[in-house]
Amino acid sequence: MGDDYPSMFRSEPMSLVQLYIPTEVAHDTVAELGELGNVEFKDLNPTVNPFQRSFVGEIRRFEEMARRIRFFTSQIEKEKDHIPIRPLYDSAPLITVGPRAARTIDELDEVLGEHEARLLQMNDSYKTLGERMRELSEARHVLRETAVFFDKAETQQVDARASFDESSAPLLQHDDRETQYSSTVQFDLEFVAGTIDRARVPTLERVLWRILRGNLYMNHTDIPEPFVDPVTGEETRKNVFIIFAHGEAILAKIKKVAVSMGATLYPIDANVDKRADSLREVTIRLDDLQTVLYHTGITRRSELLTIGENLSRWEDVVRKEKAIYETMNLFNYDVRRKTLVAEGWCPTRDLTMIQMALRHATEESGTNIAPILQELRTNKTPPTFVRTNKFTEGFQTIMDSYGIATYQEVNPGLFAIITFPFLFAIMFGDIGHGFIILFAAIYMIINEKKWAKADLGELVGPFFFGRYIILLMGLFSLYTGLMYNDIFSKALHFWQSGWDFQDVNGVEWGRPNGRVYPFGLDPAWHEADNGMVFTNSYKMKMSVVLGVIHMTFALCLQLPNHIKFNRTLDIYTNFIPQMVFLQSIFGYLVLCILYKWSIDWTTRSTEPPSLLNMLIGMFLSPGSVDPRTQLYPGQGFVQVLLVLIAAICVPWMLCAKPYFEWKEMQQTHGQGYVGLDHYDGPRQSSDQVLEIEEEGNGRVIVEEMEEHEQHDFSEVVIHQIIHTIEFCLGCISHTASYLRLWALSLAHAQLSEVLWMMTLENVLGMSGLIGYIYLALVGGLWFSATVFILCIMEGLSAFLHALRLHWVEANSKHYQGEGYAFTPLSFAKLDEKD
Amino acid sequence: MASLFPVFFVLFIVLGLEACAYLLVPKGPHQTTLRTAFMLTFASLYLMWMITYLAQLHPLISPYRSLKIES
Repeated sequence: MGDDYPSMFRSEPMSLVQLYIPTEVAHDTVAELGELGNVEFKDLNPTVNPFQRSFVGEIRRFEEMARRIRFFTSQIEKEKDHIPIRPLYDSAPLITVGPRAARTIDELDEVLGEHEARLLQMNDSYKTLGERMRELSEARHVLRETAVFFDKAETQQVDARASFDESSAPLLQHDDRETQYSSTVQFDLEFVAGTIDRARVPTLERVLWRILRGNLYMNHTDIPEPFVDPVTGEETRKNVFIIFAHGEAILAKIKKVAVSMGATLYPIDANVDKRADSLREVTIRLDDLQTVLYHTGITRRSELLTIGENLSRWEDVVRKEKAIYETMNLFNYDVRRKTLVAEGWCPTRDLTMIQMALRHATEESGTNIAPILQELRTNKTPPTFVRTNKFTEGFQTIMDSYGIATYQEVNPGLFAIITFPFLFAIMFGDIGHGFIILFAAIYMIINEKKWAKADLGELVGPFFFGRYIILLMGLFSLYTGLMYNDIFSKALHFWQSGWDFQDVNGVEWGRPNGRVYPFGLDPAWHEADNGMVFTNSYKMKMSVVLGVIHMTFALCLQLPNHIKFNRTLDIYTNFIPQMVFLQSIFGYLVLCILYKWSIDWTTRSTEPPSLLNMLIGMFLSPGSVDPRTQLYPGQGFVQVLLVLIAAICVPWMLCAKPYFEWKEMQQTHGQGYVGLDHYDGPRQSSDQVLEIEEEGNGRVIVEEMEEHEQHDFSEVVIHQIIHTIEFCLGCISHTASYLRLWALSLAHAQLSEVLWMMTLENVLGMSGLIGYIYLALVGGLWFSATVFILCIMEGLSAFLHALRLHWVEANSKHYQGEGYAFTPLSFAKLDEKD
Repeated sequence: MASLFPVFFVLFIVLGLEACAYLLVPKGPHQTTLRTAFMLTFASLYLMWMITYLAQLHPLISPYRSLKIES
């Protein structure tokens, strides 16, 4: 695998680079590098408080702008009628690099401030107007209702007058005429009118009754429409009340009590004409307010529309600028040379691209001073970066979820591209279901450009992200469906079956006719009553065979790692004993399975042995094989040999490596070197470390002590013990774990069959119109159950188990997974983070 | 006619296909990925076919079914 092209086999080689950026070009350089997305900057000021960093002022400014943008967004969302926000890809970009950049940002700041001020003012006036309107409409109600009271009171004046105690009233009944004429003068009962919450009305009545000892007459009506608060939108129901009483003190008490209970009092005139005037006035003012409110609403909406046009590009600019200044805070400011010093990781392959980007940034900014890039050599571990495209991204992500690969170790994501869909398909094998998920994947891929921009939500988003995984899963499921000969629980008869059926005593027995069904499972087994006995045996053995092969493959991935990192010792102390142990027991089992299948037992004099009992017998009673059920002559001897070899591997794994480490330590001690804790002897530093000190221009380079491996002997021993036990026990348990391939495919097939039997099978025989109706209904039920239960639910289940097999059974054979991910400054990724 | 011959025959075909995949995928940024993908695909498809074929070569039990009354 040549070095000219990146490959997914290992993570990319990374370089530590140092950038000397003149302050004038700094902003534009970082902007350019952010667009490129190839550099991860290190924090060169780890001890500095975030509030004391150099660019705190700028960041605060952008925070303020971001707050204003958030305010706009929330205001736009609150509007009942939808306000369109122009999407980012449709907006013209704001240029924030180059000589005009500062002016653009200042203008943006101003514009945002103005918009905010205007919006706040409009919101305020809207609120005030709303309140005024509410008061006025309450007053109108009061006027209307009290008019009713007064009218009623006038007609009942005859009865009411009897209880009045005032001197100027004539006591004779024939004065009715006079009283009607001058009713307003006679009607000198004072009153208090107002509105109150409907819930409070009975309380008010009771309190007043008690306080005034019944010396009052209260009447109240409901106001039919509720009052809606324009700002908060909550509704309150109120009643109009009018209280008639006599005497200053009583009236004052009534007023106080009413106000304390939250009522609003309105001055109502006793005169009918004056009341009519007030009513007219109130109505006019109400109308005026309505108009003003309406116009305020219109103006506010148009303001929000203008904001909506520009909101996304403002947001984009603010986010980018904030990221730029936060990154610049990580740099070191060299006062003497007026430059910023930056350090970061980047893929070695991309160094030329970065150089060009730096030059481009200088040209854009209009100055002549270019930033200088220098490559450093270091002992520190670089981040792990695997270059992916839209196809491989999904597979790499699911393998990365288990742990990021150590720098430059073999990347399991490369192989997962095929092995993961394959193991999934073994558990999902059905042509029909495979076709459904294939179709879904193709649909997503065809629409991928459109869907990539849309916000798909938490449910559909992950499915879209894994569309290529689903595509391969569907394709492999078609193949395994063909192998299992299963399409929606029915079998296909493409080729000639290997069994002929004969009727014997009411049961049809199959007789072999010499043919083998060439491609897949014979359909004769599908209809057979004992079909499951055969398929169970077939699938279980297949799971074990494929499992052992997968684990062997994963184990072999250790080799490139040992070779790359110069751990030749590990090949002999770890890899070889592990491989021998695995093959001598489980490789042997696989060979026996394949061998037993290839023998024609009808021509043999021995009985076919149970392989499980054979394996158990191999360990419990080695060397003794019943000659009637032996697989091959000489089996006893071979099995004893294999058990011995496996038994030797255990102490080999346990002791070899610690022994060699110990010998090496003795050697270095013997040559006069002391452990790293003491500084008397010469330092066991490699040339690389010393070079850093030279290039550092006298700066003190802190040597990372933790990079050196602890040559503490006890740790090596313990590590090796754990490793050995884990591997040996793991061999057995992981091999059994692969049986889930059988279990899930059995469950899937059974579920599919039951669904068919309970739905469509009952309906397909029906004839006539009612038959068609039933067919349509039940068919719909069958199809939706197929999609939701069998494809989605079972699909997710098989996905999970296939993933587990990769993460635990396969990765434990070779994966270290101790790396950290490469997180470059990338404006494209800022989007995803939000 | 049930014999082991097809197993080996197809094995050699698949090995040939794998060699083609290794040699014929052009150099480029995707060479490793494509090579690995093709080779693993051929290997896994062959394995599954081989296991299915072998399992049915000399089966130890015969299928039987009770007569169903056609409705």
